[in-house]
Amino acid sequence: MSRFRVGIDIGGTFTDIVLLDADGTVLTRKVSSSVDNYARAIVEGLAELFEASGLEPGDISEIRHGTTVASNAILELKGARVGLITSQGFRDVLEIRTLRMPKLYDLAWEKPPPLVERYLRRTVDERVNADGVVERAPDPEEIAREVGILLEQGVEAIAVCLINAYANPAHEQAIAGVIRAMAPDLPLCISADVLPEMKEYERTSTTVINAYVLPVVSTYLAALRTGLDAGGVAASLYLMQSNGGLTTAAAAARLPMHIIESGPAGGVIGSQAIARAHGIENVIAFDMGGTTAKTSMITRGEVTRALDMQVGGGIIHGSRLLTGAGYALKVPAIDLAEVGAGGGSILTIDPGGSLLAGPNSAGAQPGPVCYGIGGEEPTITDANLVLGYLNPEHLVGGALRIDRDRAARVLEEKIARPLGLPLEVAAHGAHLIAASNMIRAIKAVSTERGRDPRNYVLFAFGGNGPMFAAGMARAIGISRVVVPPAPGLFSSFGLLYADVEHHYSRTFRCLLSDADPAELTRAWDALAREADRELGQEGFSGPSAVIERSASLHYKGQIYELSVSAPDGVLDQDKLSDLAERFGQEHETVYGHRAGPEEPVELVNIAVVGRGLSEVNRVPERLRLAEMDGTVAARQAYFGRDAGWLETPVLRRGDLSTPREGPVIIEEYDATCLVPPGARSERDRFGNIVISL
Amino acid sequence: MTRKSWDPIEFELLRNAVSAIADEMALTIMRTTYSGVLRDNMDFSTAFCDADGRLVAQGLTLPGHLGSIPTALAAVVERFGENMLPEDMFCLNDPFRGGMHLPDIFIFKPIFSHGRRIAFAATICHHTDVGGRVAGSNASDSTEIYQEGLRIPPMYMFEQGRRNETLWSLIEANVRVPVKVFGDIRAQLAACNIAERQFLELVSEHGVDTMTGFMDDFIDYSERVTRAALRELPDGEWQFEDWIDDDGVDVGSPIRLFVTLRKRGEVMQADWTGSSPQVKGAINNTLSFTKAATYCGVKSVLPHDVPANEGFFRCVEVTAPPGTIANGVLPAACAARGLTGFRMLDCVFGALAMMLPSAVMAASDGGNTGVSIGGYDEDRNPFIYVDFACGTWGGRPWADGLSGNSNLFANMASQSIEVTEAENPVEVLSYEYVPDRAGAGKFRGGAPYRRDYRLLEKEAVLQVRSDRHAFRPYGLYGGNPGAPSCNTMNPGVEDRPLESKLTMIMRSGDVFRHELAGGGGWGDPLERDPAAVLSDVRNELVSPERARRDYGVVVDTATWSVDEAATRTLRDEIVGDRVGAAPSVLWQDWPRAGQGADS
Repeated sequence: MSRFRVGIDIGGTFTDIVLLDADGTVLTRKVSSSVDNYARAIVEGLAELFEASGLEPGDISEIRHGTTVASNAILELKGARVGLITSQGFRDVLEIRTLRMPKLYDLAWEKPPPLVERYLRRTVDERVNADGVVERAPDPEEIAREVGILLEQGVEAIAVCLINAYANPAHEQAIAGVIRAMAPDLPLCISADVLPEMKEYERTSTTVINAYVLPVVSTYLAALRTGLDAGGVAASLYLMQSNGGLTTAAAAARLPMHIIESGPAGGVIGSQAIARAHGIENVIAFDMGGTTAKTSMITRGEVTRALDMQVGGGIIHGSRLLTGAGYALKVPAIDLAEVGAGGGSILTIDPGGSLLAGPNSAGAQPGPVCYGIGGEEPTITDANLVLGYLNPEHLVGGALRIDRDRAARVLEEKIARPLGLPLEVAAHGAHLIAASNMIRAIKAVSTERGRDPRNYVLFAFGGNGPMFAAGMARAIGISRVVVPPAPGLFSSFGLLYADVEHHYSRTFRCLLSDADPAELTRAWDALAREADRELGQEGFSGPSAVIERSASLHYKGQIYELSVSAPDGVLDQDKLSDLAERFGQEHETVYGHRAGPEEPVELVNIAVVGRGLSEVNRVPERLRLAEMDGTVAARQAYFGRDAGWLETPVLRRGDLSTPREGPVIIEEYDATCLVPPGARSERDRFGNIVISL
Repeated sequence: MTRKSWDPIEFELLRNAVSAIADEMALTIMRTTYSGVLRDNMDFSTAFCDADGRLVAQGLTLPGHLGSIPTALAAVVERFGENMLPEDMFCLNDPFRGGMHLPDIFIFKPIFSHGRRIAFAATICHHTDVGGRVAGSNASDSTEIYQEGLRIPPMYMFEQGRRNETLWSLIEANVRVPVKVFGDIRAQLAACNIAERQFLELVSEHGVDTMTGFMDDFIDYSERVTRAALRELPDGEWQFEDWIDDDGVDVGSPIRLFVTLRKRGEVMQADWTGSSPQVKGAINNTLSFTKAATYCGVKSVLPHDVPANEGFFRCVEVTAPPGTIANGVLPAACAARGLTGFRMLDCVFGALAMMLPSAVMAASDGGNTGVSIGGYDEDRNPFIYVDFACGTWGGRPWADGLSGNSNLFANMASQSIEVTEAENPVEVLSYEYVPDRAGAGKFRGGAPYRRDYRLLEKEAVLQVRSDRHAFRPYGLYGGNPGAPSCNTMNPGVEDRPLESKLTMIMRSGDVFRHELAGGGGWGDPLERDPAAVLSDVRNELVSPERARRDYGVVVDTATWSVDEAATRTLRDEIVGDRVGAAPSVLWQDWPRAGQGADS
């Protein structure tokens, strides 16, 4: 009987596989990622798991997958050779971008190279005006000529994005018709299908990104399917999207732009699910690995989403002011802030004598000094080791031997002595500074959005999250921290909580006071029907198919919109007034002020999300995991100048069945959790570690 | 209280916290603004200052405002001094009482703890309109400040929380679009209030003495970092001269910019003596704006971790004689002085290029071009469309100049064409690179772009503030200068060439074209990698003819390859034809025997 659901998360270093059955039995496997062909590690990892556990391929009911294959194609510029057709006069929209650069005073700045080189950007003489009225129709012969040029150049996909096509797609459709006739099998994306919203750069960039990753993603998904089939795994395959919802492999292959930030989403969705099960409304999900830390907010049970993102922009330094580092992608995504703080972050002293942590990272190679595989620069992990927080002999349950003395020597020489500080004081300082960098990431998603982090519970996961969470929580006034089971594998695990989700949107620009309720109802209904049809094809209907509407609005004249949920059904003036009021309240919440009734509210985009709620999509309350056991000797750990060195018990998660006062260290296979003095820790009935401050 | 020694850890933590306040203020303004100039050009700044008005941290927005806030705050402190009370808020925009130009309205809030003033939250925003003779209050052809709009000396905006209704009604009666102006003022007030709340949280956590002591010491720390960085630069004196086309009033009379950089030990001096007397047109700088341009250039050659605050200002001394374009006095008009700031940055970079030949780019496009199209529709409703265009960098000693990237002095974003067309009676017909206009070089200048604007209303006033029309963006160390900027009415039909600064009537269907200047090249074009030339030709940024003429590279466009033998021969030929040695700065293409001066 098919009873196990599978979550698979591919990272740059490891591929994490988690199996879960209805009784709460959890099996995990961490295998090296196969960078040449990511599908191989999955297929082989599953085979190993079957072998070790005695399960059969037929025991798998469903596979859910978070992958960086699409984002890597962009980061490494290994996507398809794309041709772009655009309106005459606008050949360089894709490359000029918005002009803005992410750093001030930087003479060395280089723009990310355009995903389509100029000679593959062709133009057609045509024009639709802002109202959608055709001013000049394109000449079919010119279209054929330009398409012919692209085909001669051997393009692997074509993107089409014309000025004002959001208001009237006729010309894009005409061009698409010619392309289909000339190259029926060539991947083709037109902006009116991909993103029928105004703002030509964002729409062009999004359409191009979709075309750029489409061949890579569809090839990958086909290879994965073939590999699974060959191994006898017939279970259906779902992909995690950037927005936190699942989609089918077929839909992901058609609109891969939705799975660009597939990787980090699983942990956030898992946090949301655990929070709901506990009746916790407000959660900050905090995921810290070896190179970066990511934060996102769950407010009143809902994941916070951003309306757009920058792909490949590198690290967001807490600040959202300076955009332009990456490629603009206008699809809804979980609102994440990312900082360059991880276990591998390198410690340095700047010319003014200030201690800095990151953003450069020693990564897995050459790694922290204590790994002894070539790292010469002291890192956060080295500092944690010197402080007694990490096991002084080995990590990953004994798989990785480490050298504490070496770490201490380098930290002393490069940091403590130049600062004139005792070794442990310097190491503790480094720990706190890394925490303060990550606090900026928390502020980026909380206070910068008008949300007070003190009203939130901090969920900590990733290999290093549980090490820092309690200290950070204390610094910003958060009183509770939750560390889920298998925190280092939680991104995979979180996939098992997700629902199927599809997003649709279009521009519908008008003053709310002038809107025709009937016309607006029709437009929204059309999007809802699209969502309903897609869900129906996937087997969701009736109560398991949920449709929600939302709108992006602003005060007339503002450029940024806020998204608020919108009323269902047939609209009338009262419902539109209600929508305006919801917007005003959100503006007040987020920015601390709102305009008076004299200022008109303008509707910009309307959107619909369709969710398919799976019957089996419930994770048992109590999980049964293999946990490390055996006792570990207590050790000395340093907790700052006031507390000093303290004898600190080292426990297993199971030891927390009775509450323990800090200081306590909980060592697990994939993470180490630190409970500082004055904090109290216990294991709840779901197996989470709960730290109260 | 100044503490002699800090725990470096606590120091770093407070530094992160205070910088985050300034950034968060900026975010509040950017996300809620009504003004295209604010939202896209980021023509606003936020700052956190100590009780004496010294800059501690500035939000990451506009380099052009760096250093302006202390000047403005000093004027407020001078006027209200110790009479300030909690919940007071102050504003000003008078260039001769601390401001920069009238559209920039400064708003300040003093922050108190137990009755003592401990800090200031500061904001500055460029507003859509502050009255005056031309919509947008940005006209380049005003000749005295009195034509430029409502002048606000340092004044209460709120007095102990009570709104100064006199001032608010005066503003409402004097500006063309009060809803937008008040919307943006509301954003400024919200930013100040957020800063106050967050700083007081820090005070309650760390104590008031720690926080005020930290601000003192953070400024000292920044000074130490700046001094350490300046010590690494060579000592000496360098001068640079550049010219603005004209002020748009005395058409054809060039305006001289002249800077002397003196570097001694840990201090840099920039002296603008020798620059032109102040002019009739509205492009006169306040000293604070001249400082901002100077700071921007100097900061760009220092390591990135030098904080931009009072400690940095202490090490970079900027002087300019009153009554010059670099330091205008009453009644100088200054609405369009942005142009002068951009051009001063070119001038500072020129001097820095003499000091540090391998660190600085050749001349950029000369800064943003301001285009405004305004008037009234048939129902007498006003419309004002304001656009700024910039985007080409000079070639750099290590790489080509950027194309389609904001000038360093502004970090602005372009406005979406589709939004422009949905909101204004204007259609944009073109927004793309223009080939063959970048300065050739081992590393060429950035390619400029053009924008074509077609008017859909019956009639409008077109105002353009551009430059680099008569004086091309200079090339460095053998690189050619970029092609000049270009303004044209009805291209392809009437093709009427226009001056660099103009005010004229446009009628329905008229098309105004602006083309930016190309960036200057860096280094000898004959040393350019032929593969890079091939790529430019294939991408239609350089024509095959210009590849031959400027780079001595022969491209076979049938196979998209470089004819290497022909290229060697041609390059040798060009070397033989060259007249004299290349000067370090080129204002015209490197002359060759048998050629006219240049194109």
